[in-house]
Amino acid sequence: MKIASLGIILGMLVLCALFAGCTTSSTPAQAPVTAVATAVPSAPAATLQPVATIALPISTPAAVATTSTPAPVYTASEGNVVAYTAASLKGVSSKLASDFEAMYPGHHVVFNLDGTQALKTQVQNGAYADVFISASNAYTTELTKGGYFVEGTVKPLTSNYVIVILPANNPANIQSLADLAKPGVKIAMEDKTVPAGTATIEALANLAKSTYNPAWNTSVFKNVVTYETSEPGVATKISLGEVDAGFVYESTYTAAPKGTYTAITIPKKDNYLQIYTIGILKGSTNKGAAADFENFMLSSVGQKDLRDYGFRAISTT
Amino acid sequence: MLTLIGAAVLIASVTLYLALPVAALFVRITPDLFFSTLADPEVASALWLSLFTSTVSLAVVILVGTPFAYVHCRNAYPGKVIVDTLIDLPLVLPPAVAGVALLVLWGRAGILGRYFNILGVSIAFTTLAVIMAQIFVASPFYLRQAKSLFEQLDPSYEQAALTLGASPLRTFALVTLPLTAGGLVSGAVMTFGRALGEFGATIMFAGNLPGVTQTMPLAVYVGMEGNLSVGLTISILLVLISFAIMIAVRLLAQREVPRA
Repeated sequence: MKIASLGIILGMLVLCALFAGCTTSSTPAQAPVTAVATAVPSAPAATLQPVATIALPISTPAAVATTSTPAPVYTASEGNVVAYTAASLKGVSSKLASDFEAMYPGHHVVFNLDGTQALKTQVQNGAYADVFISASNAYTTELTKGGYFVEGTVKPLTSNYVIVILPANNPANIQSLADLAKPGVKIAMEDKTVPAGTATIEALANLAKSTYNPAWNTSVFKNVVTYETSEPGVATKISLGEVDAGFVYESTYTAAPKGTYTAITIPKKDNYLQIYTIGILKGSTNKGAAADFENFMLSSVGQKDLRDYGFRAISTT
Repeated sequence: MLTLIGAAVLIASVTLYLALPVAALFVRITPDLFFSTLADPEVASALWLSLFTSTVSLAVVILVGTPFAYVHCRNAYPGKVIVDTLIDLPLVLPPAVAGVALLVLWGRAGILGRYFNILGVSIAFTTLAVIMAQIFVASPFYLRQAKSLFEQLDPSYEQAALTLGASPLRTFALVTLPLTAGGLVSGAVMTFGRALGEFGATIMFAGNLPGVTQTMPLAVYVGMEGNLSVGLTISILLVLISFAIMIAVRLLAQREVPRA
C-alpha cells in the first residue's frame, strides 16, 4: 500500500507541476514541436555527410499505403529520399520512383502519400521528410512562412484541373453539370481542408456565377453525402459504386484504365487550376539526394511521367 | 528502501505514460479558446450526433443483447461455440476492416444493400450507418458481460421462482435482472464509451458529413488537419466524457452477483 501511494503521489506532483503552467499556456498555434520521435542525429543543415542510419525497412514506393495514420519517422541514408507527397500523385508514384532510380543509380525514393493537409500537420509536428510536394499554394505558403523550406528550393511542379467523375454505368443518369443538383443524387467531395476540396468549392462557385445560379450551388452541396479526407478517397467511393458523382483531379480520370469512370468536364474558364509545388525541407539530413530528386521531378523525364498520368505542365505565365 | 523506490518509480512511470498525453491536451489550449470554440456549430453538431447515435446504439444492444445473452447461456444448441466466438470477433477485428466489411455488405452496390437500394432505402452514408457501425464494434462489451453474469448467477434463485409458479419471463424480469443489474449497467457503460469513440468503421461505412455522420472522433481527425482549436476542444470533451464513464463503471461494478 505504501509503495502504491508513493508512486501515485509522485505522479500527482508531476501532473500538478504541469497544470501550474496551464494558465499561461500557448494558444494552439502551429508552433512546431521540434522533438523528433526517433534518434535522428541532428546534423548541421549545410553538410552533406552520410548520416548514421537506423536499419529501417524502406518499402518500395508502390507499397506505401494512402492511409492517413501518422507516418513513421524515417531516417535517411545517403541516396535515400523521403518524399511527403500529395495523395493525387498516388498513381504516378511508382513510375516516378523507377525513373528516378534510373536517372540516379543508387538513389531511392520513398513516398508518403496523403492529403497535403495531413502531411503539413505532420511536418509541423516534427515528422521527418526530405522533400515536400504540395497540392496547395496556401499550404506551401504556410510552410514557407514557418521556415520549413530551404530558401530557393520551392518551385512549381505541375498543375491539375478539377473534373467530375461518375461510375462507369452512371446509375443516376447524370448528363451534365446541371444534373448534379437533381434531388437524390449522391455526391462525394473532398473536405475543405484538402486542396482538392478547396479547388472544387472554388470551381463550383465560379460555375454558379457564370452559368448556373446560387440555388444550383446550394443544391449540389445538399447532395454531398461525404467529405473525404483525401482525393483518392473520392475516387474509391466512385469505383465502389456507392456514390453517383465525385469531384477529383483530371489526372485521376486520365490515368485510370478506360471504362473505369465516366467523366463530365468543367469548362476551363470556371475551373480552378491547382498548382503543385516541390521544395526541400530544412530538416532534411540528405539535401544532396533531395536536390537530385527535385531536379529529376523538374526534368523532362519527371515532367513527362506526370503528363502521361494526366497532370498538366506548368504554364509559363 | 531500494525496493520501495524501485516500485514507486515503476508505478509513477506507468501512471505518467497514461496521464501525461491526456494532461497535454489541457495544457495546449487556453480555457478562453476552449469555451469560445464550444460555441462553434461544428463542435455542437458533432457532440449532439455522437451522443444521439451512441445512445441509440446502446439501446439496441441492451434490448436485443440481453435476451440474446440469456437464451444463449441457458440453452445448449448446435453451433453455440461458433456463436460464442463470433460475439468476440469485433473486439479483435480492426475497426477499419469492420467498416469495409459493412460497406461491402450494406452499401448501395453491396451484396445485401443492393436490394435495399432497389426499395429506395439508403444505408451507407447515413446516420443509420453510424449506428450500425457502432453496434457492430461495441456490442461485444455488453454481450460478454451479460453472458458471464448470467452464467455465474446461482440458478437456484431462478429455480425457486419457477417452482413458486412464476413464468420464465416473470422470473427473468423480476429475479434475474435485478440480481445482475449492477454488472449489466457497467457493461452498458463500457459499450457506450466504445460506441462514442468509434472512428475507423464510421468513416469507412458512414462517411464524413457534418450533422449527419461526422461524430466527435471524426471531427477531431478533420479538425486536427485544418482547425486545431476545434480538434483540441472536441478531444477534451471526449476525455471528460471518458472520465465520467470510467467513474460510473467503478461505482457500479462494486455490486457482485450472488454466485452458485
